Amino acid sequence: MKSFIVQAVKRILTGPPLYYAWVTLLLVLAVIGISSYIKQLEVGLIATGMTSYVSWGFYLGNFTFLVGVAAAAVLLIIPAYLYDFGPIKDIVIVGEILAISALLMCMMFVTADLGRPDRIWHLLPGLGILNLPKSLLGWDIVVLNGYLVLNLLIPGYIIYKAYNERPVNYRFLLPFILLSIPWAVSIHTVTAFIYNGLAARPFWNASILAPRFLASAFCSGPALIILLFQIVRHYTKFHVKDEALHKIAEMICIAMAINLFLLGAEFFKELYSDTHHLSPLKYLYLGMDGKGRLVPWIWTAFAFNVVAFLIFLVPFTRKRFLTLNLGCVLIIIGIWIEKGMGLIIPGFIPAPLGEVWEYAPTTLEIMVSLGIWAIGLLILTINLKIILPIETGEFTKYSSKAAGLASERA
Amino acid sequence: MKPKIFIPLVTALVIGIVGACIETGPGLAIAQIQEDAEALKAIQAPTSDQEFPVPLRPLPQTITPCRACHGPEKDFPVNFKRREDLLVHNNIRLNHGGIRLWCLDCHHPDNRNYLLPLSDGKNIEFEQSYLLCGKCHGTIYRDWRDGIHGKRTGSWNGTKNYYLCITCHDPHNPKFKPMAPMPPPKKPWTPIEVQAKH
Amino acid sequence: MRYDKSSDPDSLSGDRPYDNQGTSSNLEGKNELPDRRTFLAGVASVLGMLAVSSCSWQEFVQNNFQRMTKEEIDQTVERLKKEYREKYGKDFVVGTEGPIDNSLFGYALDIQRCIGCRRCVYACVEENNQSRDPQIQYIRVLQFKDGDMDFEHSTIYYDPQEVPQDGYYYMPVQCQHCANPPCTKVCPVRATWTEPDGIVVVDYNWCIGCRYCMAACPYMGRWFNFAEPVIPADKINPVTHYLGNRPRMKNVVEKCTFCIQRVRVGKYPACVEVCPVGARKFGNLLDPDSEISKIIRNKRVFRLKSELNTQPKFYYFFAT
Repeated sequence: MKSFIVQAVKRILTGPPLYYAWVTLLLVLAVIGISSYIKQLEVGLIATGMTSYVSWGFYLGNFTFLVGVAAAAVLLIIPAYLYDFGPIKDIVIVGEILAISALLMCMMFVTADLGRPDRIWHLLPGLGILNLPKSLLGWDIVVLNGYLVLNLLIPGYIIYKAYNERPVNYRFLLPFILLSIPWAVSIHTVTAFIYNGLAARPFWNASILAPRFLASAFCSGPALIILLFQIVRHYTKFHVKDEALHKIAEMICIAMAINLFLLGAEFFKELYSDTHHLSPLKYLYLGMDGKGRLVPWIWTAFAFNVVAFLIFLVPFTRKRFLTLNLGCVLIIIGIWIEKGMGLIIPGFIPAPLGEVWEYAPTTLEIMVSLGIWAIGLLILTINLKIILPIETGEFTKYSSKAAGLASERA
Repeated sequence: MKPKIFIPLVTALVIGIVGACIETGPGLAIAQIQEDAEALKAIQAPTSDQEFPVPLRPLPQTITPCRACHGPEKDFPVNFKRREDLLVHNNIRLNHGGIRLWCLDCHHPDNRNYLLPLSDGKNIEFEQSYLLCGKCHGTIYRDWRDGIHGKRTGSWNGTKNYYLCITCHDPHNPKFKPMAPMPPPKKPWTPIEVQAKH
Repeated sequence: MRYDKSSDPDSLSGDRPYDNQGTSSNLEGKNELPDRRTFLAGVASVLGMLAVSSCSWQEFVQNNFQRMTKEEIDQTVERLKKEYREKYGKDFVVGTEGPIDNSLFGYALDIQRCIGCRRCVYACVEENNQSRDPQIQYIRVLQFKDGDMDFEHSTIYYDPQEVPQDGYYYMPVQCQHCANPPCTKVCPVRATWTEPDGIVVVDYNWCIGCRYCMAACPYMGRWFNFAEPVIPADKINPVTHYLGNRPRMKNVVEKCTFCIQRVRVGKYPACVEVCPVGARKFGNLLDPDSEISKIIRNKRVFRLKSELNTQPKFYYFFAT
């Protein structure tokens, strides 16, 4: 164990110049984020752009997007473990590591959004009170933490075995893998239900919300994974087959088709019935009372999503990495807007008593958010730095012993 | 037969006598009307013999006894004719019930110390003017008794301070006057960088 | 309408803090408490949150009001009084009066009478120690055009010379004290609940500031202290209730409590007392002779957004 830690630390601290530059950048952003967050704690949430009208904002937008990313690991698990699709099975662990980082970022975003993080112990059952079964936020805490445990357990076990150069006992692992599939669906469903259950906010109070959440999650998460795999195979010896990436791209295509279909269904219902429930949508896509800060953003998202869908639909563009990567980037940005600000903000506009009061994140909010992203990516980088060599067999019990001996000799 | 009287609200502020009108009711005074709490403190305001306790509101002491001018033995004969300018009571601009109403639709023509009686024939004291108000505004009177119309302060489960009809409505000009509103709320707080775009 | 007093869905099945009888089995002996507290304080220092959020050690470990024993409540009240004295230079009363037997509060507002003068707004601010900057006002007075009750066409920022303005009518909106409140059920830590007398309250020391309740409320009845509340010391109202108008801290939610500090000792809420036209009515729904019961019985009443099934105990009515 001791040698593992020593070796792991060594591996984290060594790398090519590009690695150092990347880690330094993330550390700088993290420090800026943390200091901004301390400022926010000192003055209160007045440091953000949130008001009594729009009481949730950028933080929860990012949170929602990242829950989607975390949930998307399931899209790798299903073909990998259930259909035993070899090319993906080899790489599923990276998806799970991504899920862990995304979950940690989710938790950081929720904490950043809390007014009184010093009272977070109130959420602990026993010491505090977790309002179950009534509060969906309570449920979300349960499912997110549960998913985190599952995603630590499954790759943790595989890594442990790989480190010790022993075969993985899939019979032991299978129940957890099977459990993680509905669980991944549940984290996104419960997150959708947080918003969905509020009758006061007609924009969210549509039963199509949870399916749309899932559909969009299965676009953005895998898109991120495709990009991540290409980076990983470029910089490490970890092997990722093109076949796997194309399979993921196919799944994205289906998910995006469903996402656009559900969006259309929502549009039809609201436009044709033309009630006051249309107002938030009107605000989002056209602006209202001369206020429409989100309008350019949401049309960007819409255009990106449609273009990306076309890219993924046509096999020619889907199979060429230039267009594939473009599609991935478009999807990530598109969904980030749509499932982030595009989802949270119109829920509050117009307010329940009719007022249109807009929201925009402050510099501080953006700094804190960047900081959280930086910390999340740092966790991802460090995790991959240790885990990928274990997976490729470069870093095992025996190799570290050998290294230990070598260093002793030296 | 019930006398047909159209005048609903009665003023105590104009014509009448104070001292003679005070009648000690069965209950104790429970409250003071905010506006002339001072005047009421001087006298222990008795409650009426209603089924609910209300403070009585006598005429201010300063007003000349009505009898000093109005009375069978005095120089001013009862004049039922509607006139626009009143020689003595020129401070009153009657704006109540349109042109159908006149002083003597509420004030007793033969004894100005009283208001016109209800069907029981008993003249109404000035302190109980709300009884006369109720003659025309029956439904409002009923709501007022139930605490639906008008204002009460004090205790929701104990003694309440009643506001009488004439506390809020000038009987000669009963319509509520408009008032200046308190300042509107501030627009919600937004950081300077966001504010600039609004 | 069905008001079941016994069913209080949000109350904790523990000792009621109002239990003066000491029926609480007080499982955690006094001696055990410091252990838990030191543990928690340890957690706190690990988090490093204490330093920046500048709250005291006792405040940090303070329990939910509904779970406190009589002794804990007394200790907390003493501590709060000391804090408030230091901050505002006045002696405070921090009441913990429980509900009055057989009381369930209801409110009625005569929108035909209301002239939109906002006297209630400011009486409420002063009575309930609401922050002046950033501004918090529990009551919003909406102005509607005659013939329209569409919130999207209403405004709260009207400011003419005189009210009422011709062609407009007014509708004050505040916490509706729903019998089926969407706000309390979403709270992840049960920092807000319905009292047996129907008042929806917040434990300001238990609220974690997630603002989920604000998103859930269809009436915008909840307010968040986005910064440390500012109240001039000479304007502070020192007669308070733990669940009501005691001074709040930053980053917690607060709301109208029907002036719990007043109604629990039999007084009318401040907004009722100040209304110059007597449009505001308050009373006990369980008493058939109360003003509120008579209004519901004799007048045509409606409740805002009744389609949401929130079942407010706040009624609007037309007296004539």
